[in-house]
Amino acid sequence: MSITTTGSLGPMILQSLAPAMLYVPTPTMNYITICDKVSMPANGGTTCRFMRPRALTPPTVQLGNSGIDPPAQVPQRDIIDAQMAFFGTGCIINEQVILQDQEGVLAWVSERLAVAMRQAEDLILRDYIVSAASQLNAGGGSNGYNPTNLGITDFSLVATTLDTNNAYKFMSGILGENRFGSGPVRSSYFMLSSTELQSDFDQMTSVGGVAFLNQWNYPNNTSCLPSEYGNVANIRILTSSEAPVARNAVQNNLGVFNDVYYNSVMGKQAITHINQDGYSMNLIYRDPYYSGMLAQNATLAVKFAQAQALTQDTAIRNVLSTRLSNLGV
Amino acid sequence: MSEYNKMAKGRFTATGTSAVVQLPFQPDFVELWNYTNIATAAVNSVTRAWWDKSLIVANNNPTMIELYSASATSLVFDTIAGSPTSAGIGTFSAGQLLQFGPIYKHESVASADFAIAKSGAGGPTTVTTDTAHGLQSGDVIIFEGLFQTATTGMPQLNYVWFTVTVTGATTFTIPWDTSGANYTAFDSDTSTGNIGSWRKVLYPYIYFPGTTTISGITLGSTTTIDTTDAHNLVVGQEVAFRIPNQWGTVELNALPNTLVPGSPVYGYVIAVTDYNTVVVNINSSAMTPFVVDQTVASVPGLSYPQIVAVGDVNTGGVQISANSALYPPPYYVPIGTTRVNTINGPAIQGAFVNNTSQGFTIGSGVAVVDGTATIMQAEDVIEWRAFYHDISLPN
Repeated sequence: MSITTTGSLGPMILQSLAPAMLYVPTPTMNYITICDKVSMPANGGTTCRFMRPRALTPPTVQLGNSGIDPPAQVPQRDIIDAQMAFFGTGCIINEQVILQDQEGVLAWVSERLAVAMRQAEDLILRDYIVSAASQLNAGGGSNGYNPTNLGITDFSLVATTLDTNNAYKFMSGILGENRFGSGPVRSSYFMLSSTELQSDFDQMTSVGGVAFLNQWNYPNNTSCLPSEYGNVANIRILTSSEAPVARNAVQNNLGVFNDVYYNSVMGKQAITHINQDGYSMNLIYRDPYYSGMLAQNATLAVKFAQAQALTQDTAIRNVLSTRLSNLGV
Repeated sequence: MSEYNKMAKGRFTATGTSAVVQLPFQPDFVELWNYTNIATAAVNSVTRAWWDKSLIVANNNPTMIELYSASATSLVFDTIAGSPTSAGIGTFSAGQLLQFGPIYKHESVASADFAIAKSGAGGPTTVTTDTAHGLQSGDVIIFEGLFQTATTGMPQLNYVWFTVTVTGATTFTIPWDTSGANYTAFDSDTSTGNIGSWRKVLYPYIYFPGTTTISGITLGSTTTIDTTDAHNLVVGQEVAFRIPNQWGTVELNALPNTLVPGSPVYGYVIAVTDYNTVVVNINSSAMTPFVVDQTVASVPGLSYPQIVAVGDVNTGGVQISANSALYPPPYYVPIGTTRVNTINGPAIQGAFVNNTSQGFTIGSGVAVVDGTATIMQAEDVIEWRAFYHDISLPN
């Protein structure tokens, strides 16, 4: 008796595309989330200008009984300029790809271009913050490097600095609730940090009753951002794998290298992202018709305009730190 | 005929043995002619060089050259290896910060040891390398370690961004005063455990103006600030100071303000002396002197004094000058008073500027067989063409 097998009668078509695309690993984009957003008008020149009035001297000297007015004050202001820059990228796709490919290449390339553009916005802001914001070296850790790993006192110090500078916090506090293992959360600034430091946060030793509180130990997490890892003192920590790191940038007295992490702690309006006339996202598709005698190639591209400015220098600090423990990757 | 390729050409006069050419693309083929060497025909001089991105030989991407080697009457062919330490032509993409070159430390490559001598009062500090360092004045480097013993050396210089001034093939200086008692001469060859290294910061000025480390403060009716790398400030720039307690001149700090609580105290730049010196309109005569002699013991957690650009009072862009564009772009000053234009359009002077760019570089590597010749020397006139091809086989 003969059995028909795939050896004698193989399937005519050997492959079938799975119904959904696999995900593309993409870092969380914290910098664009936290920045102030401003739109510069069309026909507004190359440079966006901000104005911040200076405080007037409080009149703490009494008038007395002379009937004479005190001298007038002269108001002053600070001016901050930022120059617009344009960015873009794209793909040239032959019509045969579009015609013959079975998985909608234009759709997923469009999506990839859009994500690349948003990621560029975030990376530009990230690097700008590294350049523009002043720095504190962490000293509260115990690993002996300069900077040290992050300690509780580093959080306390930078929160104290921003409070003393009258920076505005982003988040109001979360009152404690009768939930096992939870604790109240103070009103907070944001720290934009690296996912590589999460194990350090987990091992952080409490000082003077101040400790690291995991996001899942908040009384409730309705106000949490997706990338929020936890809280220390007046700082809520957002992590991303694209946070700025200088690899092997310091060495201790044993000769061991360590990476330097830029943990950006900021209040409201510290950094501003500027677009021009809503020119924040242009997805441009050009039909093959435009590509030459035989109209063979379509193009898909994204283009955007962006500037950025340090708009409240007193409301931001980069806390540089190293890492306590080696990564297990 | 091709549709999407890119072509560019240009000419420049070399300022050293390496150069950067900014383009709207990264080429896959570059060719250049050294007109000066063609016209003068001297031994050990390169007349032509060309480079193809797709030519990979033993994991290397060499540059091909034609040169007068031992004879000034006959041309020969040679190559420049193309490794990071012996670079010919290559491309660059300066789009992200915190990128560094290879580490130079004891035995990282042959004879990579280096020594840092204590400076005279006021600096600068001299670094001597065992073999050619390959740096150019204006390059920025970081140091790591620098422990002569576990408790001595110069670890106070760790991860500070320093602009180098090249004084010889194996010597350069950094703008820091190491004459104090807390600094001990460092030598990577003799230090305990050979703990110390340096690396080049590849793209230090992608955004400016920004935050810069202060290396010295001269007090007076106006205040003179020296920095460790280029400040890129302009006259009219509004600046703030962050001076940690142990560095002395804390009175410059923007906050706290005792008279108008909460109102930051800023200064304005009234003169730019050079790449790392500015004069600010703050009367500091009665302030505490700046202290650069920090102890080794203080190093874990030591924060550095900084000057921060926070605004400007300018209303116009960069003024035109001889050979400049009619509407000059913002520029940065990596060394001395040398201006390097960005690829932007005009902006208000002192504005926060994006200085990302791409293009190709010409390195200072020497010809493999000749052993002496580099693609160019200072004052050489270079003609170049760069391409990005529609079709490149192999890609």
